Amino acid sequence: MFYDSYDFWWWPFVFILIAGAVPTAIWRWAGVFLVGNMDETSEWLVFIRCVATGLVAAVIAQFVFNPTGTLAELPLWLRLGAAFGGFGIFLATGRHVFVGVLMAEVLLLSGMWLFM
Amino acid sequence: MVSSISDRGQSYEEEQSYDWSWYVWGARNLFSLPALILLSAFVGFGGLAREAGLPLAHLVFLVPTIWALPSHLILLAGIVSGASLFAIAPAVALAAIRMMPMTMALIPEIRAAHTKRWHLLLVSNLVAITAWVHTLQKAKDIPRRGRLPYFVGFASTMAITTTIAAALVHQLAPSLPSAVMACLYFLTPIYFATTIWNTARVRAEHLALGLGFALGPIAVWLLPQASILIAGLTAGVIAYGIHRLTISKSEQA
Repeated sequence: MFYDSYDFWWWPFVFILIAGAVPTAIWRWAGVFLVGNMDETSEWLVFIRCVATGLVAAVIAQFVFNPTGTLAELPLWLRLGAAFGGFGIFLATGRHVFVGVLMAEVLLLSGMWLFM
Repeated sequence: MVSSISDRGQSYEEEQSYDWSWYVWGARNLFSLPALILLSAFVGFGGLAREAGLPLAHLVFLVPTIWALPSHLILLAGIVSGASLFAIAPAVALAAIRMMPMTMALIPEIRAAHTKRWHLLLVSNLVAITAWVHTLQKAKDIPRRGRLPYFVGFASTMAITTTIAAALVHQLAPSLPSAVMACLYFLTPIYFATTIWNTARVRAEHLALGLGFALGPIAVWLLPQASILIAGLTAGVIAYGIHRLTISKSEQA
């Protein structure tokens, strides 16, 4: 079953609900039912956080290594350099999200302006 | 005697209701730095959706119903790569697992004496990183009856505003310079990397972040249609394994 499997106008909405909304919401509801019955620092929650973090990291990698559209027109070294540069400055200057985001953008723009 | 009854009546009534004036105070956080960054991430997402060929109606539907940017991105990447429902849903579910401990941490902070489970089930759909971090920090300064309204105020305002922003960019994307679009897209990965680094509780999560990033391109080369699932799972399992090993070593020592 794919996003464009059927021609019905409502199919993509159903697809979005089943493939995206429900798999996200079940964890929130599970949290509501399990609260108070489970230790939030328990060992298997550490495992869960590791897997969830790994998945988001894979999404980040896709933006840098295999982007679509406009970002794909920029060379890999520029995307990598801006990402690592921004993140490095973020780590070095007291871990402010805004600083990291801003510096990554500044590096990306400077790279585009200088070399393209 | 009479006055004591009316006093009791009043306090009972107070205990049985939320103080919705706090909704506005929550909503006002729209004009804060974290909100601004999140808004720009969704501006980028609107452009991505446009380039992926997603119609406006689908975009406007999926932003608030899912309301978790990692899930949004995995779903969109899945649709673009032509992945099936059975590859996308597990990847979305695994990436969204963090919603459970987040919800569990938030509930004791925002629950009032009369809060019912169905209130929490409804409100939990708004749990996502920006409003969550902020409400956890602010909760102690807000009276119990105002906390749930405060959280709903912030989160629902963000959900509505980001949907509008994403829709606007979806419409405007073709007329914006490509340098602007490139910068907008680039906001999202850096925003994720930095916020997740900051909200990590154990070092293993930092390791998972680095491993997932490194394994991402390898997994794309191996199996593009399930690359996020493969890279993310492998990274998480390895990071947790190393975490266990270091724990048992430090226990032996």
